[in-house]
Amino acid sequence: MAHVSIPSYWKTLPQRYCLIGMQCKNCGTINFPAREICISCKQKSEFEPTKLSGRGKIYSYTVIAAGSAPPEFSEQEKLAGSFPVAIVELEEGVRTVAQITDYEPEDLKIGAEVEAVFRRIYEEDKVIRYGLKFRPVKERKSPL
Amino acid sequence: MSIGILGYGVYIPRYRINRAEYIKAWGQFAAAGIEEKAVPGFDEDSVTMAVEASLNALNHAKVDSKKLNAIYFASTSSPYCEKLVSSTIAMALGAPPRVSVADYTSSTMAATSALLLSLDFVASGRGHFALVVASDCPYADPSEFLEHPLGAGAAAFVVGEGTPIATIEASECTAIEALGERFRKDGEKIIETLGIPPYTQAVIVNTVTSSVKALLDKTGRKPSDFNFVVLPQFDGGLPSGIARKIGFEETQFVPSMIVSQVGDAGAASPLIGLAKVLDEAKPGHKVLVASYGAGAGSDAVSVSINEEIMKRKGTVPSVKDYLAKKKYIDYIYYLKIKKMI
Amino acid sequence: MQKVAIIGVGQTRFGDIIDKKAEELFAEAFLEAVNDVDKGIDISEIQEVYIGNSGVGGGQLGNFSSLMTDYIGLTGVSALRIENACASSGFAMRTAVLAVSSGVCDVALAGGEEKMSDTPRKRVRYWLGISGDMQWERLSGMTFAGVYALMAMRHMHEYGTKREHLAMVSVKNHKNGAYNPKAHLQRETTLERALASPMVAYPLTLFDCCPISDGASAVIVCKAELAKKYTDTPVYVAGHGASTDRLSVFQREDITSINSSVIAAKQAYKMASVKPEDIDVAEVHDCFTIAEIIAYEDLGFCPKGKGGKLLEEGQAEIGGKIPVNPSGGLKSKGHPIGATGTGQIYEIVNQLRGSVEKKSRQVSGAEIGLTHNTGGSGGTTAVHILKR
Repeated sequence: MAHVSIPSYWKTLPQRYCLIGMQCKNCGTINFPAREICISCKQKSEFEPTKLSGRGKIYSYTVIAAGSAPPEFSEQEKLAGSFPVAIVELEEGVRTVAQITDYEPEDLKIGAEVEAVFRRIYEEDKVIRYGLKFRPVKERKSPL
Repeated sequence: MSIGILGYGVYIPRYRINRAEYIKAWGQFAAAGIEEKAVPGFDEDSVTMAVEASLNALNHAKVDSKKLNAIYFASTSSPYCEKLVSSTIAMALGAPPRVSVADYTSSTMAATSALLLSLDFVASGRGHFALVVASDCPYADPSEFLEHPLGAGAAAFVVGEGTPIATIEASECTAIEALGERFRKDGEKIIETLGIPPYTQAVIVNTVTSSVKALLDKTGRKPSDFNFVVLPQFDGGLPSGIARKIGFEETQFVPSMIVSQVGDAGAASPLIGLAKVLDEAKPGHKVLVASYGAGAGSDAVSVSINEEIMKRKGTVPSVKDYLAKKKYIDYIYYLKIKKMI
Repeated sequence: MQKVAIIGVGQTRFGDIIDKKAEELFAEAFLEAVNDVDKGIDISEIQEVYIGNSGVGGGQLGNFSSLMTDYIGLTGVSALRIENACASSGFAMRTAVLAVSSGVCDVALAGGEEKMSDTPRKRVRYWLGISGDMQWERLSGMTFAGVYALMAMRHMHEYGTKREHLAMVSVKNHKNGAYNPKAHLQRETTLERALASPMVAYPLTLFDCCPISDGASAVIVCKAELAKKYTDTPVYVAGHGASTDRLSVFQREDITSINSSVIAAKQAYKMASVKPEDIDVAEVHDCFTIAEIIAYEDLGFCPKGKGGKLLEEGQAEIGGKIPVNPSGGLKSKGHPIGATGTGQIYEIVNQLRGSVEKKSRQVSGAEIGLTHNTGGSGGTTAVHILKR
């Protein structure tokens, strides 16, 4: 069954757990996810790890209806029904894709502010895969 | 430069189930003094809650995660019986690989044990900064009364060298063998009890009293010398039972009570209770924290509040802030997200 | 470079064809293409075989081409299975055209096949996801429909496209498909019914998504100078183009457009020396209704953002300025993933020859046609421009 292997998941943990972008020393573009050949200048470059803040806005979203999720999420679907997935444009200009969690339906809007939170993504072969989801920012709490 | 608590943070999940839902389901809610309790979402567990509490604590303490030398996790509900989840937390926080980690499990006393051990870690010169995070969501059979009070939450403390917001003055510990009160056997998912309330109550009260009295003796203090006391909160009635035995007043322990809104948050309860007190405490105040772990043991810790605490108030979400962020669920949804059906 | 002609096309019906195995389906399409060569062809004249297949359900994943050539009596011929997700046979066609135009062979076979009905429904979902970005999009819970839904939401946000526009694509294509005896779903529908159908990935409902189907298609091509030996009605490949785009939609600059379609189309128009307004009929890749609206814009049939307006004005209907998907499109005709690309060629060839069986969906006087075949969420696209 095709899946994302443990080693490849593990290799990307800096991105999945703590939003480490890789800044190309050649052109300054932040590559997220990490690449060996810079997404922008297309050079095999050196990269400087840079922690992204986790704050961003919804660029686009959809709500995956219960009954159609990929098999990794069939358990989640059974527990919690349909769920939103969004492309989030982070403060630093980089985009990522993730589920939205802890939301109310009215929070789902293009342009809505969201923040990254560490959550269980799915479980495969009894191994829990953690990662980041995004949660609507309701009030501006003091700068963290 | 002294050693002490540099900062703290909590996390309480947003879902709540209330007394009325349990009454609808079971005809009663066997959880004295509890109005509602916190429930982790389907994508949360003790590890994810620990991460958010830890991030709050690091921000509050103004300590960069890269400076941590130790990360200690305390819980009775780690998602793994064997696998270092403190390593997961370390990575999620961006801590460097050169850290001492340990998962303290098996007991609701684990958090205070870990807190005391982290102070020893720094005091012995093994490192400058340590993070202790207690995060718990205890689990039992839904058809048992034992399940009714069980809630969820996390609290993290950054301990180390600097200008502490609070200092640990002294501690005393007690360990006695006790059988058949609250336990979870190897291979089991649920906690159980042999259900002998007078016996259980006696063991808890005696063990905690033993540690607290020993601490009062050591420090030459009377119960009334403490502005606040944090007592084991397995339900809303227990603290007053213990307080009466030792000689504490309601005004001393009520400010630390979170059980009526969060439920029994296992190992995290003593530290969430301490956090709630610290949110309101003033410099010069003294807090006594007493924990209890079944089987049995108790830590009693005397904490003194410093000036520095005033500089940090309001810089991260407080216990009250998390208590206010809530969404009620019904009993069926509760059973689903706790994977009980 | 040689010019290339199409001398025979064949296609099975698309739908749930439980009683035919993969190789039987392909043989049916192949034999129809061979019989379609009106002056006759000896199959031993075929020198290269390219068959598109995305491998849904597993089955014969390795050496698929060897199984197919064996079954159709072409053992000994060089053969290749081509996989570019839903654009597999579009690229099989491209490869056959390139082989002939390079001069390396005189006659080549392009085609495609897919069996989807015999995989349990729960597992078929999984196979639909393998052509998307596995690492990030899939692990965020994204489905194939979800990716196009993200594009739809952004298109609606930037250009004011409405759910009604999406439903209009469905209504139009079902209307056409009702007159296509080979279509999977031969039933007209209404706007209300489409809008009220169950949500799959907001805003896309069941009626915005193409069905999963079985089917096969085949196209025989040869050097243009040899065409008249085989048929009095050859159709010429006037232009072609192909391109790739980033696999991950979230890494694309603009998700309201599929860049691989834009580039492939530009290449084809340039090669054919035609402009978008010269196209008389088109088969575009409407795996989801939004994909058709975006295709109008990417292919230059209307300005960016005006795809909805083109629909409102009825210009994409048969009889409109630019009839799109007279076959019923993927939406109604069906989408056996590997077979769709050369299935589009089959339709356009019939349109240009005037040989569409049901006259009500024949575009009259069509001289220049276009096929647009996209893989997955736009990772690959192949475009062909055909002329009478």
